[in-house]
Amino acid sequence: MTLFFQQFVNSIALGSVYALVALGLTLVYGVLKVPNFAHGALYMAGAYVAYLMLTTVGAPYPVAIAVSIVVIAAMGGGMEFIVFRRLEGKSSVHAMIAALGVLFFLEGAANVIWGPDFRPVPTPLDGVVTAFGINITEQRILVIVAAIVTMVGLYMLLKRTLVGMSIEALAQDREGALLVGIDARRTALLTFAISGVLAAIAGSLIAPLVLVFPTMGAVVILKAFVIVILGGMGSVPGAILGGYLLALAETMAGTYVAFAFSELIAFALLVLVLVFRPTGLFQKGV
Amino acid sequence: MMSLGWRRLILVRNTALVAALALLGAGCGGGEGGAGEDGIEVVPIGFVGPLSGGAAYYGQNVLRGLQMAVDEIAESGGFMVNGRPHRFEIVTADDRYLPYETSTAARRLLQQEQPSVILVPHAGGIRALQEMNLREPQFLLIAYTSEPSVLEAENPMTVMFPPRFDGYQEPFTRLLMERFGSRLAMLGTTTAYGRAWTESVTAEWTRQGGTVGGDHGVDYNTTTDFTGAVTRALADDPDVLFIGGPSQPTGLVIRAAREQGFRGGLLIMDQAKFMEMLQIVSMEALEGALGVYPQEFYPTEGTPGWVARYYERFGDDAPSATSEIAINYQGLHLIAKAMELAGSTSDPVAIRASFSEAARSVPDELRIFDMTGVTETGHLERAVFAAHVLNGEFVPIQIPVAGATEIR
Repeated sequence: MTLFFQQFVNSIALGSVYALVALGLTLVYGVLKVPNFAHGALYMAGAYVAYLMLTTVGAPYPVAIAVSIVVIAAMGGGMEFIVFRRLEGKSSVHAMIAALGVLFFLEGAANVIWGPDFRPVPTPLDGVVTAFGINITEQRILVIVAAIVTMVGLYMLLKRTLVGMSIEALAQDREGALLVGIDARRTALLTFAISGVLAAIAGSLIAPLVLVFPTMGAVVILKAFVIVILGGMGSVPGAILGGYLLALAETMAGTYVAFAFSELIAFALLVLVLVFRPTGLFQKGV
Repeated sequence: MMSLGWRRLILVRNTALVAALALLGAGCGGGEGGAGEDGIEVVPIGFVGPLSGGAAYYGQNVLRGLQMAVDEIAESGGFMVNGRPHRFEIVTADDRYLPYETSTAARRLLQQEQPSVILVPHAGGIRALQEMNLREPQFLLIAYTSEPSVLEAENPMTVMFPPRFDGYQEPFTRLLMERFGSRLAMLGTTTAYGRAWTESVTAEWTRQGGTVGGDHGVDYNTTTDFTGAVTRALADDPDVLFIGGPSQPTGLVIRAAREQGFRGGLLIMDQAKFMEMLQIVSMEALEGALGVYPQEFYPTEGTPGWVARYYERFGDDAPSATSEIAINYQGLHLIAKAMELAGSTSDPVAIRASFSEAARSVPDELRIFDMTGVTETGHLERAVFAAHVLNGEFVPIQIPVAGATEIR
């Protein structure tokens, strides 16, 4: 039973990161109506910025996260302004291919700048907490808490601010939103910037737990894509629940079947959901 | 940063060589190479391996070792073949670590550059080229892998440089079982090479009377968080954990295991290198680990001098001097010696025939390993060491030469 609870705790930490990445993806989907694969590159870049701040600059961890948020939010906004704005009105295939292009471009750029090496990121929180026979590292506690704070913050932003409400309005009914005078371009720009913030938080939180390398985003973005489909395209609660659910499914399948299968789980779930419930497990309700 | 410069350098050199060959026309065909600006004849050495994709870092390490030897040879005025000085030029083709791309890439390289020697750093690609290296144009295949099946193919035109991986399991098992106990949990990477290791460790551990838990291996290259897999493996209550894949992810696995309170031994596959794992974990976390000996401190006479030259050339911030770099560096000097003894840079059969003598006659100042010869099946023989981390120190363990046959 200890094994079960230990794995449960492990999956909550992993699920927090999955959920944060999936949230950025689902928000942009609401506005763009295509999965923005380049979001994986934002996550990777967020981890690199945190890495640079912690090692080369020697900044404290909170500063590293803050800088990462600012830089990646700007990158996200820039992505909309430079690439996706110009594809407005074209078929969504264009935007999808552009998103893949941006992902590969940024991965290539990271490869040129930092090389393909795995980079370890020092963590100021390297202690381990043990309770009831269950271990969790301090960094993982931070990941879980910070993810929840971020999700609450995002919820408040969407429900309580004008910006958030325009994002929701655009996602729900584009024409209606335009009719009531919402500035679609400004909102799209802001949505990309917010998705950048989420990617930066996820990237800089997980950086000390994993290794930073150019293709780290490609692995996670595929999972996030599965989560977004699982939770319903464009659904915010769906992305959060989906994130935790996928991490739980992977870890438990690994524990009670075999870890070699855990990579399969995500994509098996994807196929099952698409076949039996194509709208996602949680009906769209931004 | 280093890697960018490197790639560019190699690219520029490739382009320059192609241009030189084109200018010289058909006269320099047949693999004999053309004369460089310095009047020294240039001999192309082929490299087909990963230069992009997930394994690019590995490919660049291999190239770094080769390039170091290429530069040293050029700076010392070249090696003499039939009384004329020669130097090497590395010509590369990217196969992204995919065996089915290795043959295509090698064919292109053979057509464009006519190398008589091609080095491939992964078993799948090597086996693919063993299907074609005896047909025209023949070439000598240098295998940078520790996979014994490459030798079992009995390809007369293959030379394998690294030690076979099946030499490690017996002493590793014996030592760790004695020190920690007889329960083993499996957590190796799930690549083809990782699986081969997993199988052979399982067989050896069982043969020596131990018990082996289920296989909880994960792909070290694509796993984001190892905690879950480590928790599962530790639930088997092991005395020793079998782990290994690329060095840095292996470091993460060790960290996760120690964080979860595991105090037992670590049986580490030869792909992971201690000095790179130490970027992630402390020496304390490695206590009770058994793996390949750190190249920088390899217990041979030539090592300190080579390490000093390595850091002098690449700077103190260069990637640590791993065996990937050392073995390929040593290998290139060996090829130069073999060509010298064969009296030819273009006849792969003659070059292969001189390898055993070359292994014994590489000059002392260029020797990192105590090489004694090359076996009938094409394996470079030398003393091999593993390291056992005991009270915070690397203790050398000599590995018996597995499957040794008489030296030709």
